[in-house]
Amino acid sequence: MTQAEIKLCSLLLQEHFGEIVEKIGTYLIRTGPQPLRMIVNGTGLVLDQVKKALCVLIQHNLVTYQLQKRGFVEYEAQCKRVLRILRYPRYIYTAKTLYNDTGELIVEELLLNGKMTMSAVVRKVADRLTETMEDGKTMDYADVSNTFVRLADTHFVQRCPLVPETPESPDAPPPPAPTLVINEKDMYVVPRLNLVGKGKRRRSCDEEEEGEPKAKKQKQDGESSEPPPDDGIYWQVNIDRFHQHFRDQGIVSAVANRMDQTSSEIVRTMLRMSEVTTSSSAPYTQPLSSNEIFRSLPAGYNIVKQVLDQYLTLLADDPLEFVGKSGDSGGGMYTVSILYFWTLSPFRPLIYFPLPLRFGSRCARIFRLLLRKKHLEQKQVEDFAMIPAKEAKDMLYKMLSENFVSLQEIPKTPDHAPSRTFYLYTVNVPSSARMLLHRCYKSVANLMERRQYETKENKRLLEKSQRVEAILASMQATGAEEAQLQEIEEMITAPERQQLENLKRNVNKIDASENQVDETIFVLESFIESTVKKP
Amino acid sequence: MAGSGRGRGRAAFTFNIEAIGFAKGAALPDVMCQPPPPFPSTDNKPVPLKTGEDEDYMLALKQDLRGTMKKMPYFLAVEDDREAIERYSQKYQDIEKEHAAWTPDWRRLPREMKPKKKTKKAGAKPKKAKSSEPKSNLDVLKKIEELEKKDDEEEKSEDEKDKTKDKEGEDDEEAEEPDEYDEEEHEEENDYISSYFDDGDDFGAGSDDNMDEATY
Repeated sequence: MTQAEIKLCSLLLQEHFGEIVEKIGTYLIRTGPQPLRMIVNGTGLVLDQVKKALCVLIQHNLVTYQLQKRGFVEYEAQCKRVLRILRYPRYIYTAKTLYNDTGELIVEELLLNGKMTMSAVVRKVADRLTETMEDGKTMDYADVSNTFVRLADTHFVQRCPLVPETPESPDAPPPPAPTLVINEKDMYVVPRLNLVGKGKRRRSCDEEEEGEPKAKKQKQDGESSEPPPDDGIYWQVNIDRFHQHFRDQGIVSAVANRMDQTSSEIVRTMLRMSEVTTSSSAPYTQPLSSNEIFRSLPAGYNIVKQVLDQYLTLLADDPLEFVGKSGDSGGGMYTVSILYFWTLSPFRPLIYFPLPLRFGSRCARIFRLLLRKKHLEQKQVEDFAMIPAKEAKDMLYKMLSENFVSLQEIPKTPDHAPSRTFYLYTVNVPSSARMLLHRCYKSVANLMERRQYETKENKRLLEKSQRVEAILASMQATGAEEAQLQEIEEMITAPERQQLENLKRNVNKIDASENQVDETIFVLESFIESTVKKP
Repeated sequence: MAGSGRGRGRAAFTFNIEAIGFAKGAALPDVMCQPPPPFPSTDNKPVPLKTGEDEDYMLALKQDLRGTMKKMPYFLAVEDDREAIERYSQKYQDIEKEHAAWTPDWRRLPREMKPKKKTKKAGAKPKKAKSSEPKSNLDVLKKIEELEKKDDEEEKSEDEKDKTKDKEGEDDEEAEEPDEYDEEEHEEENDYISSYFDDGDDFGAGSDDNMDEATY
């Protein structure tokens, strides 16, 4: 793990789980798999705290454990998974666009808690939705269950590996750690539950029954003595599926930019049909016949079969090979090339974001030229880019010193004499992508640190404003006069108000930047993953 | 040899410098003597942030998520040092914290994760027997009595008895010394030097039984 990744992981853990968890997580990321004793020695914390923190990390799928042959358990941190914490808002928002508020809350609860049983999720989400509804209305468990089932069917949530059912063997002592297993087929099977009920509000002044104390009633509903029917079956968010969805969105928008709305809709249909049949790392989708595509088009699109065929042919013939033709049966078999999308996309972030910032737009021009022509000599660069020699030289050297471009030697003579060697400038795409990714991690870490610094500087002021708000709220609830409210509001002076405004604006800007850098991180990571040759 | 010595003035390269694009005699760019500055100047403005409904919603989600996670039972904060005065409310706050704490599903975790509960009674006795640092004389005496009871049958018992005797002897001596000291202090206060009329060493020492030499 690079230093930038470790730093970013440690900041994320600290912000979301506290310092104790951060210490242990960082230690594990830095030193690799360790047994419990080593963790206690290495971090210098109390055994009790280490145990609690490890439980939290395992619950959130950030640390996994493995029983070693010698009988002790080793814990390993998943650095990549920690970095995904940055992307949680995007996952939740995607769920909202696909499955409305119910889906949004289900995904949010699962992300906040790591793993949960279906019954627990349904109950919590129903309660939360009921809170936001108008008085008197409640959310039915059945609706929430339905949305959950739909999420499972489209693979957005999946089952966690289960504790194996071991036969009762009193002779053999139980193993120090369970080995969790999951069958591929069972991963999305929803247990048959009969969840009947409605959501509950926290403050149910109207619903109190006479005589019966409220605490007793809650106990009966909440913690019954018997375990729920789906005890032991935990669900977690399927992050890869979300990534697949983001990628599909990217492809569709690329096609829309290149051609028109209709063709992008066709591609979207094709992708949706192959959602669950294509694994996330496949270079192509499964071949789909144009008859199938025609049947699966959304109802609003009234295009005739021939028009669809024309579109498909156009897409297949396009030099940007998003869609390829792979056969003629069933009216023509077409696939969407996912790999191609990745080879195309990182160029845009590389060009549009860091280069103009650091070197100017002319540098971007040179860079794009080199990408297209692969290898160019100094003189050729100047000619093709139409930039005066001195400037071109300057920019090339700056980019070279930052490792955006590299030199390729081509000797004319066997003795590699410098005076008789060609020096060509070239861009090494995978290495540039990795370097850029490293920079992205560093930027997000910098942004987070700056945000924490800003918040800390103004901590006193923030606390004061929170107190004033609390006073105002309580006074309004008890019905205070306008003059009194005004007096309380004036406790915060005008310059302080200004300061608070500035702080809010800065923090918002930094947060928005973090989100957008994370989008770039997603693109770059997927690109690098797709270029790594699988054994 | 062309380009060999430094003392010859300008450095000369081993290849034709025109190949990289420097004209003959033109100034070469500066050599980097130190790492690049941590906050370089930004002459070019960055690309503006994307704005829109989606981004605003995600921003709100992110901030909400941050706030919510801080309140979850998974957030393990470092406990601040308790105030010097123990507050009455502290007891109830602790109870509340315990209620809010979360217990994981122990079946899914390695066995060593589960905190072991110690009962008070089981812990006290072995501790007493094992503690090897008696803190005061009283404890020493008690411990010795215990050991005496345990090791009566062993060979070492005599040694221990001697030890106990010595210890008791020491204690007695300690008790005696103040008595002796007291005696001296209790003498009358007069001008007579009490040690003037010292009994000789032989005073009453020798017995009259074995008289080898006659007295004259």
